Amino acid sequence: MEQKILEIINEIRAAKNLEPVAELKPETRLREDLALTSFDLAELTVKIEDEFDIDIFEDGLVSTIGEIYAKLA
Amino acid sequence: MNILVTGCSRGVGLEICSVLLREGHTVYGVARSYTDEFIALEQQYSGKLFFKSIDLSDSEGARKSVFKEFITNDVVLHGYVNNAAIAYDDIVTNLNLDRLKAMYEVNVFTPMMITKYAIRNMLLHKTKGSIIHISSISVHTGYKGLAMYASSKGALEAFSKDTAREWGPLGIRSNVVVPGFMATAMSASLTEDQRDKIYARTSLKAATSVNSVAETVAFLLSDKACSITGQNVHVDNGTI
Repeated sequence: MEQKILEIINEIRAAKNLEPVAELKPETRLREDLALTSFDLAELTVKIEDEFDIDIFEDGLVSTIGEIYAKLA
Repeated sequence: MNILVTGCSRGVGLEICSVLLREGHTVYGVARSYTDEFIALEQQYSGKLFFKSIDLSDSEGARKSVFKEFITNDVVLHGYVNNAAIAYDDIVTNLNLDRLKAMYEVNVFTPMMITKYAIRNMLLHKTKGSIIHISSISVHTGYKGLAMYASSKGALEAFSKDTAREWGPLGIRSNVVVPGFMATAMSASLTEDQRDKIYARTSLKAATSVNSVAETVAFLLSDKACSITGQNVHVDNGTI
């Protein structure tokens, strides 16, 4: 699951001409550390939902990788 | 293109399906009832027209009924036509809160939820999709007894404009078609006298053509309208 999240995030970063990240830590922040905008987060949500059938934004904002892992656990 | 049309079984919705099918598109129709007219269209366009009976007053169930069981992520959605609506007509002093809420479920809340998931489908497939809401002339010209109904359509017009601004950077468009009074089941409860008064307020002095409304929807869905977003397009025989 963690590998798939990394793939999705790097796919979104690649479309923005950003370097891929090598690893994600639970404390990694989506906006500040990964430079994801609200549109990028919407795309991330949709791709995660397509893969895992879970809407990570269903009940409130998600700001770190750890919070995504928790929703998918 | 793959287009979702709600309220597809009669009136304007049925005509929208008919125009889109004639243009070669695939239509996913949603409505409460499965009418003979719709079945005839299905037989004529076998494999291009799909139907699911859905109660659109269930806004919480819209994601499951429309997107989990009908338009799944395997379907690349290019357009969403929000046409389904119910009318609750009365003077304001008689306003019944339960009936008002029931109308808002169908006319406002469910369309907003469907828009949410339609845009998500477009995001997943990177589709520059088009969203069309069907409003009503009663938002722009006042009529006795239509304050509650008009308010629900006014909410959609505001929602559409801001959706257009929000998702424009990704090429997703949102527009509203504002029909004048048509001779459909929706206005069947009006008396002949009321109808004549309404038509007298139009420049063309007649009921709005259902086909003209449907053709305008098809145009706004198409690439011909690629520079049109955030607009209310009046198809109302000149109700000015």
